[in-house]
Amino acid sequence: MASQSAEQLSANRMRLVKDHAARYGVTAGGIMVLVALLLIFFYLLYVVQPIFESVDLKKVNSFELPEQSNVEAVGMEEQAEIGYRFLSDGELQFFSLIDKDERKAGDILLTETIKTGAEITSFGSSLPVNSQYVYGFSDGSAVVVQPKFLVSFPETAATAKTDRVERVITPRVEYKNQGEPLTVDEQQRPLQRLAYETDGDGMLFAAVVEQNKLLVTHYVAEENFMTGEVSLTPKYTEIPLNSAIDDIVVTPDLRQVLARRGNRVHVFDVSINGEVSERELMPARSRELGNATGMYLLAGASSILLTHDTGKVSQWFEVPGDEGRQYQYIRSFEAGSPVTNIEVEYYRRTFYTLSENGDMNIFHTTAEADLYRGKPSEATIEAVMVDPRANYLLMKTDQGYGIYDVDNEHPEVSWSAIWQEVWYEGYPEPDYTWQSTGGSDDFESKFSLVPISFGTIKAAAYAMLFAVPIGLAAAVYTAYFMSPSVRKFVKPTVEIMEALPTVILGFLAGLWLAPLAEAYLPGFISVIILVPLAVIVTAALWSTLPTRIRNKVSDGRASLLLIPVVLFMGWLSFELSPWVEQILFDGDARRYLTNELGVTFDQRNSLVVGIAMGFAVIPTIFSIAEDAVFSVPKHLSNGSLALGATPWQTLTKVVLLTASPGIFSAVMMGLGRAVGETMIVLMATGNTPIMDWNIFEGMRTLSANIAVEMPESEVGSSHYRILFLAAFVLFIFTFFFNTIAEFVRQRLRDKYSSM
Amino acid sequence: MISVNPTKSTTDKLDLENLSPEQTALSIKNLDLFYGEDQALYDVSMHVPKNRVTAFIGPSGCGKSTLLRCINRMNDLVEICKVQGDIELHGKNIYDKDVDVAALRRRIGMVFQRPNPFPKSIYENVVYGLRLQGVKDRRVLDEAVETSLRGAALWDEVKDRLNASAFSLSGGQQQRLVIARSIAIEPEILLLDEPTSALDPISTLTIEELITDLKKKFTVVIVTHNMQQAARVSDQTAFLYMGKLIEYADTDTLFTTPSEKQTEDYITGRYG
Repeated sequence: MASQSAEQLSANRMRLVKDHAARYGVTAGGIMVLVALLLIFFYLLYVVQPIFESVDLKKVNSFELPEQSNVEAVGMEEQAEIGYRFLSDGELQFFSLIDKDERKAGDILLTETIKTGAEITSFGSSLPVNSQYVYGFSDGSAVVVQPKFLVSFPETAATAKTDRVERVITPRVEYKNQGEPLTVDEQQRPLQRLAYETDGDGMLFAAVVEQNKLLVTHYVAEENFMTGEVSLTPKYTEIPLNSAIDDIVVTPDLRQVLARRGNRVHVFDVSINGEVSERELMPARSRELGNATGMYLLAGASSILLTHDTGKVSQWFEVPGDEGRQYQYIRSFEAGSPVTNIEVEYYRRTFYTLSENGDMNIFHTTAEADLYRGKPSEATIEAVMVDPRANYLLMKTDQGYGIYDVDNEHPEVSWSAIWQEVWYEGYPEPDYTWQSTGGSDDFESKFSLVPISFGTIKAAAYAMLFAVPIGLAAAVYTAYFMSPSVRKFVKPTVEIMEALPTVILGFLAGLWLAPLAEAYLPGFISVIILVPLAVIVTAALWSTLPTRIRNKVSDGRASLLLIPVVLFMGWLSFELSPWVEQILFDGDARRYLTNELGVTFDQRNSLVVGIAMGFAVIPTIFSIAEDAVFSVPKHLSNGSLALGATPWQTLTKVVLLTASPGIFSAVMMGLGRAVGETMIVLMATGNTPIMDWNIFEGMRTLSANIAVEMPESEVGSSHYRILFLAAFVLFIFTFFFNTIAEFVRQRLRDKYSSM
Repeated sequence: MISVNPTKSTTDKLDLENLSPEQTALSIKNLDLFYGEDQALYDVSMHVPKNRVTAFIGPSGCGKSTLLRCINRMNDLVEICKVQGDIELHGKNIYDKDVDVAALRRRIGMVFQRPNPFPKSIYENVVYGLRLQGVKDRRVLDEAVETSLRGAALWDEVKDRLNASAFSLSGGQQQRLVIARSIAIEPEILLLDEPTSALDPISTLTIEELITDLKKKFTVVIVTHNMQQAARVSDQTAFLYMGKLIEYADTDTLFTTPSEKQTEDYITGRYG
């Protein structure tokens, strides 16, 4: 007997192994799901994280150059191999920034002396993008010079052996007007200050003579039809001002000259035929910001920066107003100590300030970000300049020169730039805007996630408005009233709808439904209102009929009576649509909406999205809610019926209550789907990132935004990372909704769980 | 042999064949019932007397529960179920086309085999039927709750926690709550479908005592597969077998001197 039971025990080993295997298998599966989820989460974070990193400066190299006279400006080419400096005695020196072959950092590669017969009295420069420099002379003339770099890959004996062609950068100097001095002052007075800009051929000089006289000299380039030669025609204007002029700035579009006189900035318009007219006088807000001490132009040339003796730097740009575009104070930055010099980057809205206390600050205007503050070097910084790619910083101190590696990849991204209203250049007021790319390199990116998050919520809300009533009503009817034989057929049919590719729904919505809704707008709206109304009225009429007639039709069949009603109302709405349009909306409902009611109408709008996405969400809601209602124990509904409740009373008072956790999760699952849905919103809306609840306008959702822009964003760029951030936000959205859903469901289940 | 409860021997024996209309709660006449093709009840005819406890007994599948469900038309919920014949309440056939089923069920309450309180508080469970009828007056509801719970012998146990969930009660208490819920709307007839089969012996005893009490106000029809229970609580007993009403008589008579062989076989435990 004992041996038999022992045998039985050993025979069960296989079963035990299977049991264990199953248990570990299931556990492993569950853990894998969690791990996958966490991986996605952390990968998104990993890609997003660099945009919030602060600026890092690392010294790469340092060297000394002979001090012969004052340094007016420094610069370097985009590989950061060669730098150059302009000296006050007219010398332009190119020097190596790296140790390469026999070359050492600090070796002078080329020296060019800019000389006319006259003495140098002033120096000026264009924006870094144009990188042209100008010397002003005592005879009222100026020479424009541009350091250029020739990149070549010469094949030498050495490179042929290694099969690796070395890049060789050769500096060279180019002059405007073939090096001939350009006359700025006809009366040949010494130019005390000089500002210069070019738009390619045309040139605009602004100069100060005799302390308070502003000269504006506009060289208009004209091409000779016959010879193709470009001839320059100057136009001279002299404007005397009341007191000494401290700063002058010329915009690169050659349309404006700004002259600062203490706390006042004069804005001169040069755009019409070179005529100079004073447009406005801009106060520097000295009372709150402190006395103005300097004026600079920001990259993109839309903003000017004023430095103040309080250590503040203020940003101003033109804003459309009642009297046309006018300069307005936008925001200010705190440098801590009075700023002596500002250098701007080539393309981005980043600028570097040097303060009296020796600090260097890095700011970004759009992001309102204070990126760096401190002393990168022990010595006193005299001048700084970044390379065109903004990867390196050339710094001139009283102890020599230093090259710094600047790690500042994403200055335009900050919490405020993403989630708060930002006053973008040229905008009448602060706004939430998403506009990731523009026409030019120095475009101000607008990375507000608010309008697209809003779009996500808007699309989901309209979809739910459509899907929840229909989905839940269908679920309750199918589970509770429909006869089992019909249910057996209906439920899988609706569930199969869930497998319908959303691209087809989006396609139909965008190309068929949207034009239809536009053409028959009144009919479309009346269908939405009249059909449910007609259903309710029919049901009400039905219930007033005598029991004798009603009992002839079984409960399951009575609903079939509604089919002709729905069809008729739909047909009637569309048939009447042109008439209604004629009588009520002057023949064109769309124009009526726009002109009379002031409601913008887009063809691909939220109404279309609501219906199309609602259609996609209905099966989700239906399926889960139907299961929930159907699984309410029969003994509960029977108990209610046995107490004399009508089926409707039983439904509302017992069945829905008991099924509420399931119904709630159905709605939340539907919402989660609507939030994450991509194809339908992508195809059925105009993808305009606007913030408006208007049902006749479209939206852009987080998911559609990612789908649209990800293929064209440069890997590793701020745009790329912001799209990942959008994905992260979307992830958080769905995570949030699902967590709330689960939490509420648990609470409901605890409360209404049945035996 | 099964002993008949001595406490109810005081009730007079009635002539079940010829009840006066005042004595009759319900008359079942030539009732046939079909589930699709299968016939479940064959030509059942009987009178249920007022303010008495009538028990239906019989082996599993004999049709006793089906017959009970016919009385308040719960069988309507089964799609394939078809009923022929009459069940008359005050001379009106409840299967007539113009009968409002909800109103009928209000007058003929039912308690099921498994306790089925709603996922609401004790209080809300009791007033459920009243609220259905639109009663909103708090005093009326409060009074009905106390009366019904006292009537269902539950008041003393729950009076301090009327707002607690009905699920916090034990199985026996839940079943009494369901009875309270049923009697709160003061039906004429109370149908009990094996009300104690899911309960422990002590709860069963409490419910049985309660049934004896209930007949003072209501006509009670009880289905049970427990013959001792039928003998203890009922005044008359109907024995069903294979869908046919075999014998219907005073409980004493049926259990002591059954007239049919099948009845005797059943009550003596030969089958079932």
